[in-house]
Amino acid sequence: MDLDLLSRVHLFPVRHHSPRTTAVLGRWLERVKPEVVLIEGPCDASDLIDVLCDAETKPPIALLGYRTDDTPGSALWPFADYSPEYAALRWAKVNRARALFIDIPVGVSLGMDRHDETAGVESEEVPEGERHEHLHDEEPLTERFAREQGYRSFEELWEALFEAPDWTPEGFRPVLLAWADVLNAGPRQDYHRWRDAFMARKVLEVVASGVAPEKVAVVAGAAHIAAFLARDVEPALEAKLPKAVPCAVTVIPYSFPRLSEQLGYGAGNRAPHFYQKAHEAQCDFRRATLEVLIDFAAHLRMRGFTASLSDVLEAYRLAMTLADLREKSAPGLDELREATVATLCRGDATHVDAFLWKSVVGHQVGRVASRIGKNSLQAEFWRELDTRRLPSTDSAETFTLRLNNTVEVGSSVFLHRLRVAGIPYATLAATGQQRASPQEAGGQAALTRVRESWQAQWTPSTDVALVEKIVLGDSLEAVTTRVLQEQLDAAKTTGAAADVLLESVITGCPQTMAAALRACDTHAATDVDLPSLASAARALSGLVAYGTSRAHTDVGDEAVAVLCQKTYSRALLRVRESCACAPDALPSVVEALRTLHEVALAQPLADKAGWLAEARELMDSSTVHPATSGLATGLLYLAHELNEAEVALIVGLRLSLAVAPDEGASWLEGFLGVNALVLVKNREVVKALDDFLTSIDPERFRQTLPVLRRALGVLGTTERRYLMENVVAVRQLGEKGRAVKTVLEEKDTAKLKDMSAELGKVLDDLDDLL
Amino acid sequence: MPDIRLPAEAKFKTELEALAAHDDKPRPPGWALSPRAVETYILGGSKPVGGVTITPKYVGDKGLIQVCIATLASDRALMLVGEPGTAKSWLSEHLSAAVSGTSALIVQGTAGTSEDHLKYSWNYALLLAQGPTPEALVPSPVLRAMRSGKFARFEEVTRTSPEIQDALISILSEKQVSIPELGEVVSAQRGFNLIATANTRDRGVNEMSAALKRRFNFVTVPVVEDLEQEIQIVTKREAELRNDYQVGVPPPEELSRILLTLFQELRKGVTKDGKTKVRTPGAVLSTAEAISVLFNSSILAEQFGGGKVTPHELAASLVGAVVKEQEDDVKALREYMETVAKGRTGAWKDLYSASKKLLRG
Repeated sequence: MDLDLLSRVHLFPVRHHSPRTTAVLGRWLERVKPEVVLIEGPCDASDLIDVLCDAETKPPIALLGYRTDDTPGSALWPFADYSPEYAALRWAKVNRARALFIDIPVGVSLGMDRHDETAGVESEEVPEGERHEHLHDEEPLTERFAREQGYRSFEELWEALFEAPDWTPEGFRPVLLAWADVLNAGPRQDYHRWRDAFMARKVLEVVASGVAPEKVAVVAGAAHIAAFLARDVEPALEAKLPKAVPCAVTVIPYSFPRLSEQLGYGAGNRAPHFYQKAHEAQCDFRRATLEVLIDFAAHLRMRGFTASLSDVLEAYRLAMTLADLREKSAPGLDELREATVATLCRGDATHVDAFLWKSVVGHQVGRVASRIGKNSLQAEFWRELDTRRLPSTDSAETFTLRLNNTVEVGSSVFLHRLRVAGIPYATLAATGQQRASPQEAGGQAALTRVRESWQAQWTPSTDVALVEKIVLGDSLEAVTTRVLQEQLDAAKTTGAAADVLLESVITGCPQTMAAALRACDTHAATDVDLPSLASAARALSGLVAYGTSRAHTDVGDEAVAVLCQKTYSRALLRVRESCACAPDALPSVVEALRTLHEVALAQPLADKAGWLAEARELMDSSTVHPATSGLATGLLYLAHELNEAEVALIVGLRLSLAVAPDEGASWLEGFLGVNALVLVKNREVVKALDDFLTSIDPERFRQTLPVLRRALGVLGTTERRYLMENVVAVRQLGEKGRAVKTVLEEKDTAKLKDMSAELGKVLDDLDDLL
Repeated sequence: MPDIRLPAEAKFKTELEALAAHDDKPRPPGWALSPRAVETYILGGSKPVGGVTITPKYVGDKGLIQVCIATLASDRALMLVGEPGTAKSWLSEHLSAAVSGTSALIVQGTAGTSEDHLKYSWNYALLLAQGPTPEALVPSPVLRAMRSGKFARFEEVTRTSPEIQDALISILSEKQVSIPELGEVVSAQRGFNLIATANTRDRGVNEMSAALKRRFNFVTVPVVEDLEQEIQIVTKREAELRNDYQVGVPPPEELSRILLTLFQELRKGVTKDGKTKVRTPGAVLSTAEAISVLFNSSILAEQFGGGKVTPHELAASLVGAVVKEQEDDVKALREYMETVAKGRTGAWKDLYSASKKLLRG
């Protein structure tokens, strides 16, 4: 490799996303007038340069590389309007020069196992091309350097030394290279050196193809250019690059908020909107400061705070004086912030943090030329967003869907499909008082909802997911169907199959619905698990009640009704054996019994008589877990199947001396678990309880205490008061009680008298005053 | 007998002179020093200027001081706001001393501050004898500052009545005071400006009008959150006080650390390790209060103790500082001692046992 030749091509060092670099680069390209512009970027994305530069494309945008071998993995190379690489591409297009990317291919980037390098950095979100420089941020080399120079942060140093001064190309190149020397002072990562070698070869290949080296310009990170100039390139290292993994690359819209999240030397910047303004003003940072201050004042006024023009002027003047005092050529973000706090915000930084700062970050979302051929999922997504008027910016918006018309039901189906497919866009927001957890978003709860509150926000990861999911199907319905089918294949119980069934209905996927119905049927025949059967019965009963209209299916409600009946009967068959369970399985069995009871009362198709018979069996049985007997008794009493005398009798039996106290206590727990208020209001029941408690032998009492505590712990204050009242009545403590009451009342009367005396005095005083 | 407290311009005379002698940066009209030199004076210099070491007067954010100085060079006045005891007046004194060479042109804002304090009043004997003459006029500090082109200081603006605040607006916007009795208008000379202070806790007493606020740039002086920084401030100031008053013995470092850890934890409502929640007392736990507690305990030790500051003296001064008016504060401190101090080692143990006796009942 002829490294001398390398130094004969025009090399321009850049920092990514720097408006000043972009401005200087523009002037430099005008002077050099290269025929070929070589740019740091994945070389297999060179075909997309046309799309990147299309008149329809509006940054921020990003190249998205993703694996196509079913292994999750993707990387982004974002571009803003003010990114020098992007400016170089545009320049080449306007001046009819050839533009090419020269960095390692996407597949190689994705193939790098860099967990050891960037421990803790998510491989999905951090742009590949930039991640390596992230390391400098973790070793606080740049920050330390900035502090030594008297700046509070590296970003401040960068703004003051590189962005604000009006550099010429001649002046700028050396300082940026000097900066690269600071960066390269430590040992360089192997990975960079491999890339150096790769890029050097690419450059030389272009020269070898017959282009004069004087007609080639290379635009790449300052560290790489510095290495080229120092001839510190080891061609053999290229062989160390990993093998490429199968992948594809496309262009997606990006957004300012995401760009501001990428921090560190090479990755992004604090306030993209501010830099965009500076870029538009030909790097006049004073003008950008003034524009932002005017924005701030408008924001403050919109929210009802006073912010006058004189405040804006004063803020601008203060920012300029501060910049002067700090020997900067123009104000930067730090001056902007301090001036805003001191003037517009009257010394209080809360408004700045709460909403003003968001406007220097910006929430713009880029646009990609239509001819990139969005994949069908992206196309569908954007079409739906457009026709349904759903939020399409990178800031969270909340809206409510009323599910009483086909349009909004359609929106709901769309959003649920995204949820099931795992495409991050919308989450079901809390409705009223209760917070919806992810599990509650779908399933039974979704079926019964008449109104849904959603919070939606488009982020680049939405498009990343849309691109990645294309392997699962070419429409949202197909992807959702595939995901649900996989869930169905993994479902081992009736309950799990029924859950998939519900999701199919909510997401309007008739195909999986039919499959899930069949699966429910098959599973139910062999399923011995009562909780699973019960939840399936509830799901089916819900479907019968609320219909399957969302699914537009030809399976019809009839099939569901039949299956519902069948499943319910099967569940009943399993009741008795399930109730003779071990204590650790108890909670789910109890839940299942409640569910069955609920369904029996609500769903006319369910075998109510059968359930009541089962419940009676449970009530009388001595082989099942006592808690389930207690529960059955409670449920029957509540359903008016037992009268008070019967209940009292059973309570007496269950809690008699002959029964071991821990069993009694356990029974009690199940019994009180139903609706304690109704039970403790029954004097007969309370009497039986009281007798039971007093009859326990002191020795045994200590052992039973934990279970008893748990059983009585479910009682709230109201229940306790009724319980106490009834205990008082049962023990005929009423007389004493009344006595106590009278004393209390007398005390109150005395107090009231005192108070009225005081009140009178105060009134007298007032009279005097008046 | 020497004065117990010298104003900043007298106390740091040599520093100010050295800075002025070596100041080659442009100075705004009427300023004794350039903005850079003022910054160095306030924050201290890394290397001596003309053989004089510039000591830091304020420890904290450089940006904050720069905003103050940049404001004072403009036609807007400076408003320092913050919790009580965050060195607002201290900062205002040093800024005036550095820029105007005097920190004495001061008006203390109270409920009784009248317009006379802000503009002028008369020497009534002379007034009766000679009629209204310039000799009979008693100018207010603000008027004197306007005439001589220096900084006036206005402490506790929010404690004055709305009428006085309104009078301040006209002074700040017109930059002149008319004296109809003499048929004269006094216009402010270049270099005049005003530094006001206000407590955030007093905001409710007399909230400033929007019109007045508009005449100021606001700088919030924060409560020091960094332990090492606060220890540095407190030990330095306490040593100065001992020197000024010629009383007390130096407290050991460990006790200062304990005191400030306790202050910061009570202020935040949670211990440094973030594991234990503590109740925040109603009393103001400012840096100034910590200085006073430490100074107080050093006097106690010298006069009534064994000549050495021990946790016993610290506890005695501490209880007086934290428990000002509310009975609840006793509980808060007792809870802190029981839940936090008790479990710690070293002098904490002694502090715990000493405070236990004091807090009983």
